[in-house]
This record gives sequence, structure tokens and C-alpha cells, in this order.
Amino acid sequence: MAMTMNGQVQLSASREVVWAKLNDPEVLKSCIPGSEQFDRIAGNEFQAVATVKVGPVKARWKGKVRLSDLDPPNSYRISGEGEGGVAGFAKGGAKVSLSDKDGGTLLTYDVEAQIGGKLAQLGQRLINSAAKKTADDFFIKFAAAVTQPQ
Amino acid sequence: MPAVALTVNGKPVTGDVDPRTLLVQFLRENLRLTGTHVGCDTSQCGACVVHVDGKAVKACTVFVWQIDGANITTIEGLADPNGPLHPMQEAFREHHGLQCGYCTPGMIMTAVDMVNRKGHDLDDPTIAISAAAPATITS
Amino acid sequence: MNATGIGAAVRRKEDQRFVTGKGHYTDDVNRPGQCHAYFLRSPHAHARIKRIETKAAAAMPGVLAVLTGVELAADKIGNLICGWMITSKDGSQMKMAAHPAIAHGKANYVGDPVAVVVAETLAQAKDAAEKVNVDYELLPALADPAKAQSEGAPQIHEIAARNTIYQWHLGEAKAVEVAFNSAKHVTKLDFINNRLVPNAIEPRAAIGEYDSGSESLTLWNTTQNPHVARLVMSAFVGLAPEHKLRVIAPDVGGGFGSKIFIYPEEVVCLWAARKVGRPVKWVAERSEAFLTDAHGRDHVTHAEMAFDAEGKATALRVKTIANLGAYMSTFSSSVPTYLYGTLLSGQYEIPAIYCEVDAVYTNTVPVDAYRGAGRPEATFVVERLIEVGAREMGIDPADLRKKNFIKNFPHQTPVIMTYDAGDYHASLKKALEVADYGGFGKRKRESARHDKLRGIGFSTYIEACGIAPSQAVGSLGCGVGLWESAEVRVNPTGTVEVLTGCHQHGQGHETTFAQVVSERLGIPLENVSVLHGDTDKVQFGMGTYGSRSGAVGISAIVKALDKIEAKAKKVAAHMLEAAEGDIVFADGKFTVAGTDKSSAWGEVALNAYTAHKFAGQELEPGLKEGAFYDPTNFTFPAGCHICEVEVDPQTGESEIVAWTAVDDFGTVINPMIVEGQVHGGIAQGVGQALLEGAVYDKDGQLVTGSLMDYCMPRAHDLPALKVEMTRTPSPSNPLGIKGCGEAGAIAAPVAVINAITDAIGSEDLAMPATAQAVWQALQKAQDRRKAA
Repeated sequence: MAMTMNGQVQLSASREVVWAKLNDPEVLKSCIPGSEQFDRIAGNEFQAVATVKVGPVKARWKGKVRLSDLDPPNSYRISGEGEGGVAGFAKGGAKVSLSDKDGGTLLTYDVEAQIGGKLAQLGQRLINSAAKKTADDFFIKFAAAVTQPQ
Repeated sequence: MPAVALTVNGKPVTGDVDPRTLLVQFLRENLRLTGTHVGCDTSQCGACVVHVDGKAVKACTVFVWQIDGANITTIEGLADPNGPLHPMQEAFREHHGLQCGYCTPGMIMTAVDMVNRKGHDLDDPTIAISAAAPATITS
Repeated sequence: MNATGIGAAVRRKEDQRFVTGKGHYTDDVNRPGQCHAYFLRSPHAHARIKRIETKAAAAMPGVLAVLTGVELAADKIGNLICGWMITSKDGSQMKMAAHPAIAHGKANYVGDPVAVVVAETLAQAKDAAEKVNVDYELLPALADPAKAQSEGAPQIHEIAARNTIYQWHLGEAKAVEVAFNSAKHVTKLDFINNRLVPNAIEPRAAIGEYDSGSESLTLWNTTQNPHVARLVMSAFVGLAPEHKLRVIAPDVGGGFGSKIFIYPEEVVCLWAARKVGRPVKWVAERSEAFLTDAHGRDHVTHAEMAFDAEGKATALRVKTIANLGAYMSTFSSSVPTYLYGTLLSGQYEIPAIYCEVDAVYTNTVPVDAYRGAGRPEATFVVERLIEVGAREMGIDPADLRKKNFIKNFPHQTPVIMTYDAGDYHASLKKALEVADYGGFGKRKRESARHDKLRGIGFSTYIEACGIAPSQAVGSLGCGVGLWESAEVRVNPTGTVEVLTGCHQHGQGHETTFAQVVSERLGIPLENVSVLHGDTDKVQFGMGTYGSRSGAVGISAIVKALDKIEAKAKKVAAHMLEAAEGDIVFADGKFTVAGTDKSSAWGEVALNAYTAHKFAGQELEPGLKEGAFYDPTNFTFPAGCHICEVEVDPQTGESEIVAWTAVDDFGTVINPMIVEGQVHGGIAQGVGQALLEGAVYDKDGQLVTGSLMDYCMPRAHDLPALKVEMTRTPSPSNPLGIKGCGEAGAIAAPVAVINAITDAIGSEDLAMPATAQAVWQALQKAQDRRKAA
């Protein structure tokens, strides 16, 4: 089943700094909730492992993450697909774009995802709120990361 | 493995259990009290209802370690095995309140709890709504 | 009639064990050395399986085996089959795709098993399943049956072009066209008969066990027909020769059709038991049941009925697309054809009928028989058209029905069936009285004062039960005979065991079958045991479905009892030193006609075994007889259900405020049990009409996959039901039984929809008629009125 989500976050750092952090696997790894592994396997391709819980379904997801449509320091597309074994699968992507605002950077994201298997069967009524919470958790950490000295 | 001690149908029982063991699994698999059945895995159907310290509880929603020390009554302990049926068991039989019998133990335990809470003099709407509260599906 | 005989509302014998928790269901059985199976299932509706990596899982603690479709194929385990061959209108045979017990090469629905882990404990099996790595290549999925035949739709099986399994038809297209051309009024409807998830409260379960000493397999299984399961698993799947495979169906917690079929999991448990040398147990979780139990209904239909100037129906034409899911389940092909098209005449004299059915594959769980199976769908077509036709023509719906009822029997319909007996006026008349139809206007005004819309809906349904005359179904493509067997074993002390090929999973056979024996032999009910559900005890049987156990199963018992009586009379003749022809048997006593010389049942039973009073050359000792009974016709239970609803126009919520059921089941053995069957059937029918609906999204994910999202009927969804009966015995079996198990589920859905559409003044309402659906229908009707 399909799921969409979008939002904006105001970050107190320059567009260039935000862009650099968005492309730093270490930063992404530390900000993605439940992330255990985020390793570059080729140019803009990463191998990721994360444990995510949606309602009654908890699983360790393994999959590939790709960055594409790179337009530094304005926007990119981050996409991926993962198999959670017994729990099902998830795939999707987000268009992330940056613009200058109020002396900092406004980050806009637009997510489209598909889920299946047990996650869709049992977790579907919770998936939107779970995704929103995951995004919120990510940006709380990411907002902190962009203000840290490089 | 946590050790648990319970009183089940008046008898003390103990066991070392995997922390994820549900009460219904402990009853069915460790104690071989197979009268209590599992009908769903989302705590909806009510087939697994037993009494924990006198109150109706879905035995698929609690880990056995959570209720260490509790007093459990299952369908097997509702009436003296050598004596007459409990009045609720007799009522189900007399009024054809069961067909396949799979969820019947849960229904009977729910009904006994309902009478304990609300008394004997219940009208149809109260029974229908109260039955829906611990939730036992009709078919 | 004696106090426990035919017609007595005897309390059920089986209830003692059920109310005390002493039933023995499959999951209550545990075998020494038993281990546990857990199935890894495809999360994708349609995907190529490129590779399955099982090494890491196999190394997990407690794991005994991790098996996939590759091993299954290597061991030459055969495919599951559909046992009813349907021929398309162009003469071609239905397109049955291979259905392996574990998906091999491609997964075709969410829930299709791709691997099984066998481990010491279930928890270990589940943990190890997490370590199985499946590399899928995703394929476009097809979930909507209405799109299955479109150009460019994903192709599911090579064998079936445009996903079409068959294009079947029945009736006379020409005659129908002629009638429509001269019709005064034509009523047209489009609708979907909503897909249902059976949800028997006991999830399916299986234990497979292998005895290497005797090279035999035993299966404990939640099945409605253990012998059919054994036959299929021997002859087609090839697990073991029939005499080396024992199937035991112990107490079974409801079936509703979903436990007729032979499923992958029981095949795998038997296969794995032999491989690991230990008993292997599998019990479905409810989430698994949603994804893997064969679903029911799922028809997309366009139907038209032609009427003449007097309101007489002159013709009916129906075009249906039936969704059979990803594979053809055991009897799926017969449900939208011979169990559907043949019932389209309803209770009416319709001179011409033409029905076309296209069955299609989709990436959804297989669809097969579910309580009523084809007949609820047929009843929905006919009874919606009659009701809507009546409203369109301004005729009272009861009057339109009376005008069109079949009055003379036997009646040959244009769609195969010959109705043997019935009195449709009698059931309608009684229902109108019980429901106080005359007072409806007053009640409607009363409801209006409380801002509620009141509606009334009828369903004068018919069904074909007593399934079925073997020769007839054979000529229609059925792969088996549908007779039933019975064996009556009299013990030396006079107690009796009845062995039947029927299986009970809620129907109360242990009581009703014993009542028939008690009455016939004049012995107490407690002296009769009914044994069923074990292929080692009962020689053969076709099982329980299609409301057949009374009409066919009991008839076999009656036939065996005839033989018992004949033999016992011979024994009595020797004992009483009289001619066999002079022996009269009544009330448990053998009497020499015209004398006071008699022997009691028990004495005769004992003498049959002591064999002291007759020579072995003249008469064999013992008292045991068997019989096979093949019905001469279907039976045709029919009746009238009237539903009254109140709709809240503010919220769209419908409340069923009154229900009248007047059913004609012919002879009734136990009215209490029959009434219980009617109650259960109505509850399921109301579930379909108001609450239940399986929904797949466009990618083939089941989004109503648990009892949180799939709404089942509960006690407060139903009013107190008024159940009455009329009785015109079936002339087609010895006791005149017609069958009662499915009537409620057949009659109810359309009665509810007829009532709600009456209340809201709009025919545009799909099932399930949830509050939201009804509210939307009300808004649309209002918009239409404003626009007009």
C-alpha cells in the first residue's frame, strides 16, 4: 500500500552546511532512528541496516539507499528499498530541497513510499503516524547535527 | 528464564519460562490445560478469556511473568470435575449457546465475569454490550 | 416420536465436553517428539523468486530443516488440484495452473509460502525464519478482477491468456434475447458481491507424523472432509498410498467451507515429518488465516430482468466476473458455475434465463466455497432484481413475488434444476404475518418522528442442497461422487456405534444422528455414539458442506438401519421360533405378529453375537451393516426472510430492528439445533451485508488483514430473531430432510440491502453497507433530487 508524507524544517545553518551534512553517511547514520549500519558501497549508493517498529510489527530492515538527481547545494532524491523478512518490505523515496530562509535554510521533503507484507497487514493504520514520528526524530537529530562544528 | 509461581484452578504451579511466553501458552503448553483456546493474535476474539485474580482477562495479552503470584481460573477449574456443571456451563448447554465449542470456554468465562460484575438480572442490551467489552465474536 | 427421537429439541450430547474445556481440537493434540513449522510467506503479491538463502537460518539454534520449493520439487511432491472441471462455451477446458505447496520460481499472492522452517520450538522456528534471505524481482500485480482481462494486465499464469480460467455459460441466449425484445419493463443492476474472509474461530492447524516401521503417515488436520483430503494427498500430491495415510479430523472449530479445501500447509507438515523423522505441527495465526484461508464470494455482476405488462418475469440475463484468486482451490471452479447459475430461477417461474461467467486469476489468495457458496450470490441477483423491479413498476414487493412464484411441482427450471417440492406462498404468508407487514406503515411513521428512516426488505430465497447425485455432478465435471456412507455397529449389549463419512464442526451431528437411531431402534440416546473424522475408523465419506449431512449423511444411516432391522428380525425369528415375515419391530421390541411373544432389542443384539439360537450356515453371526447412499436429486430448502431496518440519516448508521425468518427445511430432526443454524447463518449474512469486506489495494496488499480492520458481526449487531418454519418434506430422501446449514447466509444479505435501500430511497448501495456507504448513498440521492 502506498503512503505519502511531506513537511518543512527550518534549520539554523547555511545551505552549503546542510547540503554537506545531507551527504555525509556518518551524519545520516546517526540521525536515522534505529540505524545500525550505513556504509557507502559505491559513489552514491549505501548499504543500510535499521531496526524499525510500527505498532505490533518490529523488524530489522536491510536494504540499499541511493542518492540521485543531485543538484548541489539545492536538492537531491534519496530512495531505497528494504526487505524486513517476516515483517514485509518497504520501498520509496523522498525529494529533499533546500532554500535560504531567515538567515538559515528551509528544508522541504516530499516522501512517497510503498509497504507490504505484515507491515501493511497489521501496521497499516499506524504507518502514517509512525512515519511522521520517524521523520520528526530524524530532523530533531539532524537539526542538532547541522549546528555542530564540522 | 524467569521463574514464575501461580495458583491455577486452586493448585500451586511453578515454571521457568522464556520471557516472551504468554499466559495462554503457559496454560496450554506447560500445564496442558487445553480448554482455553487461541482464536486471534490481536486480542479481539475473546476465545482465550480466563480469570486472573477473579477478573476476566484475555490470556493472549499478558506475559506469564507479568502476573507472577496470581490466582488463575480456567474453564477446567470452573466446576468440580466430579460434580455438577457450573450454572453458566449448564445455561450454555440448556440454551444452545454454542456450536463448534472452540470459543465456548472464553465465552463462559466472560459471562461468569459479567454476572460477577453486574449481577444476575441483566437485560439483552446490557448483555450484548458487556459481551462486546471483553469482546467475544459471535460466529 | 419418542422423547429423544426425530423432532425433539434434545440438548446436545457433545456439549458436555465443550462447556468443560474437554474438546480435542487439532492444536490440543501434542505428539511425542513433536517439533514446529513456521512458514515464511511472500510479502509481495507478484514476484519472481530469484534466490533463497537458507544457510544462516539452518544454523540457528533448534532448527531441524529449512525447506523451499526447490526441495519440494526435488522430492516430486505433486501440485494441489481443483477437482471440478469446467468447460468453456467454446468447448475448451478450464486453465488450471500449477499450484505447488511451496511457491517455486514465482510467488503469486501476499501469503504464498516461500519457505518453511522446522525447529524444536515455534519461537526458534520464527527466529530462524528472520534469517532466511529471499531475493525477489518484483512484477506488476493484479488485484482487481474487473481489470484481469484487460489488455496489458499483468499475466499471472502462462496457461491462462488474459488471466481467464474459463468462460462458462448456461441457458438459452436466443430465447432470452427474444423475451427482452418484447419486455414491457426491464430492471438493470450492476453490483459487486463483496469478498469475504471466512474467519472460522479455530485457525487451521496440522500435525504430520511418519512411522518408519510401517512406512505410514498420519495427519491431524482441521478439515471438514478427512477422506477427500486423504484421496487428494495420495492420488494427486503423492505423499503416500491411500492405505498408508491416515487423516484424523478431531473436534474442529467451525469451517464454513474454508476447511473443505486441501491446503499447502498440511501437505508440507506430512512431507517435512518424513524428512525430519519427527511429528511436525503447524497452527495458523489469525494473521496467517486472513492471508491464506480461501476467501469467499468476490463477483462483479451485471444483471437484467425482463417483465411483461402484468409484472410477470419473462427473462433473466446475468454476466459475472468471478475472482478465483492466484490459484484454483479444491472446488473453486464449481462455485460461480454449477452452484450459482443453476439457482438463478429463484422461487420464480422464469421462462428464459441466460448466464455467463468468466472466472479469472488475480494476485490474491484463492477464492472458494464459503457458507452458501454460489447460492448467496445467485439469491442476491434474483432478489435484488425482483425487489427493485417491484419498486420501479410500483408493485408491492410481496405481491410481485406472489405473482411470479412457482406453484406446481416438480418444476423444471431453464437452468438444469428440477425443484421437487415446495410451497413458497406458505412461507411468504407466514412471514408476512409474523413480521406484521400490515403494520409497517405505522412503524415507519413512528420512526420518522424520531428522525429515522425505516425500511423493509424481503428475501424469498432458494438453495440446492443435499449435494449431490453422483451421476449428475459427474456429467457436469465433478471429479468425485457425492454420496455418503454409514456403518451401524450394534454391540452385544445393544449399544450402538454409528460411523459416518460426514464430519461435525459445530452442526451437532453427534446428537441429531443419534436421535435418528434412538427413534428407529427404540433405545435411549445415551446408548448411541456417533463416530466420525478418522479415516482409520470410517471406511470412506465425502464430508460435510453444502448442507448435505442431514439429507445425504442421515439417509445413509437410515439405509444401514434398514439392513440392521432386517438382520435383527432374522435373529429374532430364530429366538422366537417364528417365521421371519411374522416378526414386527416397534418401540425397541420384536414381536410375533398377533401374539404376545416378543424379544427386547438388547436380547436380540446379544443373540446375534452369542449365535446360540441359529446355525452359522443359515445366518451369519453379528449385527453390523454399512450403506452408501447416493441422492436421487438435490434438495431445495427455501423460505422467506424479512428484515426491517432503521437508518439514521445524519450518520448513515443502519440498525436491524426486526428479523423474521420462515424456512422450509422439510423434516426437522432437532428444532433447537436447526434454529441455531438459522441464527448463525443470518449473523454471517448480516456480516456480509453491513460489516465485512476484504479489501486489497492496487498492489495486492490485503489492507483488511486482521480483526482490527475486518469487521465481524457481534451480538449487538443483531436483534432478537423470529424464526419459524413451514414443512414440505423432500420427496427425494427417506426422511424428507432438506438441509438448513446455509439458509441464513443465503437469505440474509439481500434482505438487509433491500431493507436499507427501501429506507433511503436509493438503489445505489454496495455491500458492506457501512455507515459511511449509506451516508454517501443518501447524499448522492439528495444531489440527484436537487439536480432534477
